[in-house]
Formats: sequence, C-alpha cells, structure tokens
Amino acid sequence: MSDRERINTYLQTLNRYLSRLPAEDANEVIREIESHIYDAIDLAEAKGEKLEVSELLKGFGPPRTLAEKYTNHMLDGTPPPSGFSAITSIKHKVTKGMYWSTLLLGYGSGFALILLAFMKLLSPETVGIWTSPGGESVIVGTLDAPAEQGDDLLGLWLVPTALILGSLITRFTYSLLRILKRIAG
Amino acid sequence: MTEIEELEAKWHVQLRKGTLELVVLAALQGRTLYGLELLGLLNQFETTKITEGTLYPLLDRLKKEGSITAQWVQEGDTRPRKYYSLTPAGTKKLSVLSAHWRKSVPDIEYLLAHPGKDAEKFKE
Repeated sequence: MSDRERINTYLQTLNRYLSRLPAEDANEVIREIESHIYDAIDLAEAKGEKLEVSELLKGFGPPRTLAEKYTNHMLDGTPPPSGFSAITSIKHKVTKGMYWSTLLLGYGSGFALILLAFMKLLSPETVGIWTSPGGESVIVGTLDAPAEQGDDLLGLWLVPTALILGSLITRFTYSLLRILKRIAG
Repeated sequence: MTEIEELEAKWHVQLRKGTLELVVLAALQGRTLYGLELLGLLNQFETTKITEGTLYPLLDRLKKEGSITAQWVQEGDTRPRKYYSLTPAGTKKLSVLSAHWRKSVPDIEYLLAHPGKDAEKFKE
C-alpha cells in the first residue's frame, strides 16, 4: 500500500466513524487532519528526512478511537441504547404499516382482555372461559347458553387474570410503539 | 522498561491529564498557531509531549466551549491550515488555571522540603 493510499484509507475510515457528527463538522475534522499529515510529510522532506506514515498515523490512534473523542460530547447525558448501530441499520426497513398493525393488535387485545374482566364482573354467568363439551377446544367470551358448555375454567379468577394480562399487553404495546416510533422517525 | 521508568511513565500520564488544558492554553498565549506547530512546540518539552490523537480532539473541545477560535488560512500556494488563538474567555480561563497552578507548585514544594514529625508547625 502506498503512503497516499494508507492516508486515504485512514481518513475514509475516520470519516465513517464520524458519521454521528454534522457533515460540516466531520469534513472540518478530516480536512484538518489531512492538512496536518501532508504538512508533516513536507516538513520532514524539507529536512531531508523520510516520514514514516504508519508511525504518524499511530500518533493519531485508531480511527475509531479518534472519532470517539470527537463524538463523545454528543452522547453526554443520553447514552445510546446498546445495539444502537444495529437498530440504525434496520431503521429504514420499519414501515408505518408495522407501527399501525402493532398498535391495533397490541391495544386491541390488551383492551379486549380488560373489557372481558369487567364483563365477567357484570355478568358472571355468561362471560368466561369454558372448555367445550368434548374437551378439545377452549371458548373465550360471552355465551347465550353457557350451561351447554363444559366447565368454566377460571370462574371469578378470570377477573384478575384478564386484568393483569390485559395491562401487561397494553404496557408492552406502548413500549414497543415508542421504540418503533423512534426507529422509524 | 524498568520499574522506575514505568512508574514515571504512569505519573507522566496522570499529571498530563490534569494539566493538558492549561498547557495548550498557555502555548497559545499571545500566539496564533496551527495544529502541527502547536504539537511541535509542546513536544519540545519533556513533560508536555502529547500525540496528535490527543491534541486535535482537545482543540475541538476548547473551541466548542469558546476558549479558543479557529480560522482557516491559506498563504500563497501552501496548503490551507487551521490556526488557533485564545478568545477573551480563553484568556480568562488561562489566568484562573495558571493562578491555581502557581499556588499549587509552592504548596507541594513546601511539603517536599519539610519532612519530619511536626505537623503542627507546618502552618506558620
């Protein structure tokens, strides 16, 4: 690898790690370091010496470490979640459709369970979870003629169970939507 | 590296960490320098030697906090260079840091020069 190639590779890598900075700031950093490197080479040449480029680059440190010193201040107080870069890369694949379907499905089932709990309280006879007579399936919901069905599996325990489960699903949906919004936004 | 050299190297890193801002601000006192010049100046002294990778991010930070300003200058057909100088805020910061430094040196010197048992007599 020639000196020039080595320098270009270094600067390109650095530029990539600086992507968190505004483009203008990142350019400025790259320009200054590039100017420093070529100045140092010229200076050594003027003295009749040959500058070892790899040694000079060592003085700047690995591109990633150097970039972090420039970008660290941007993270003060708001450290990115772990896996930040992975999230960024899938960011563009998250569609609005995913957001809305999560919203409908999550809140829909969460609220339905909570509603079920209240309905059980109002009408314990017709609301519940039953096994079907053959014991092969489970029926959740309201029935006109519960007597024809099998056992009411939970009885009044359905109330706390559905409440807790419904709240958990609602809460989970809320968190999930916030994450989705941040990624897609 | 011998044990003593290692000890000295560690102490050097620690001391430099605390004095770096003071050193850079002092080096820019009454001067306008670009990065390579500044680095060359600091590397002339044994205890203020630093690397490029330490200097440039520090300059960036000092510029962001308003202690120094930077300006690209191109003279003739040379490469454009980014020159740094102190702002009034930087000059003020330097005077605070240097006053503290100058107080600290004789304090430590005094302790070094007065070994013995009598802690009482210390404050005259």
